[in-house]
Amino acid sequence: MRQSRGKEIFLWLIRLRQRYRVTGASMRPLLTAGDEVLVDPQAYRSQPPRLGDIIIARHPDQTDLQIIKRINAVREDGYYLLRGDNSDPTQSSAFLVPDWLILGRVTSRFASVK
Amino acid sequence: MKFLTSAIKEYFPALNTVSAHCDGPCGIYDPASARIAAEAALSMTKKILALDPNDSSHATVNTLSRYIGIKEEQAHLAKTDLLVLWTDYFKPPHLEEYPDLHDTFWQAAKLCSAVKVEVNLEKAEELLKAIEKIHTIFWATKGREVPYYTAG
Repeated sequence: MRQSRGKEIFLWLIRLRQRYRVTGASMRPLLTAGDEVLVDPQAYRSQPPRLGDIIIARHPDQTDLQIIKRINAVREDGYYLLRGDNSDPTQSSAFLVPDWLILGRVTSRFASVK
Repeated sequence: MKFLTSAIKEYFPALNTVSAHCDGPCGIYDPASARIAAEAALSMTKKILALDPNDSSHATVNTLSRYIGIKEEQAHLAKTDLLVLWTDYFKPPHLEEYPDLHDTFWQAAKLCSAVKVEVNLEKAEELLKAIEKIHTIFWATKGREVPYYTAG
């Protein structure tokens, strides 16, 4: 994942990117708890989410919870299979969500935990 | 630039969080849903076999097609419930404890397909036996003794 640089930080300053802090281990080794990322909330207005994108979405059963996952499969009926990157199966599980629960695409890593 | 963003993170951490936690927090699983569907498919199999095959009146043909429809739907539902249990609930440590876990689920799922496609009383009853076995394993992994029962 790219480090946030000039353009990304500028977009964040003019509020076209949102900053989020990651909790949990399901996106390891790419993202560790405490890392911060920038998210483009308008990424999917003009094009649909694509396989491999890292996205944030509302949890299908707990709408007040936002999750960060990778798109693992795109179904014809408009549903997306989300998975964590962590290869330990006890650390990641799959979610099937409709496109309207996907809130944006993660565009860069703002900062890592030291 | 990295220094700058790290400093921002340090002194003004992001207020919004996104969860990369391991599991869907609902965590509610129970082989009972598969058992109920499999029982319904068994019941429909029995009802189909009880119909007079020589009676081709509209009423009987209508009843037969309704029975077939329900049998297929319920057998498919049983399969879906079993697959969810297999792939979402059971984890590698369970497999160490129950080495035939994969085979048990595989055979049970295959029985669901047979019950769906055929009119096979033997396989419908075998499916319920397989689900009883899964019930026993499932509750043992949770350290609970839950007696198996059927509704029919």
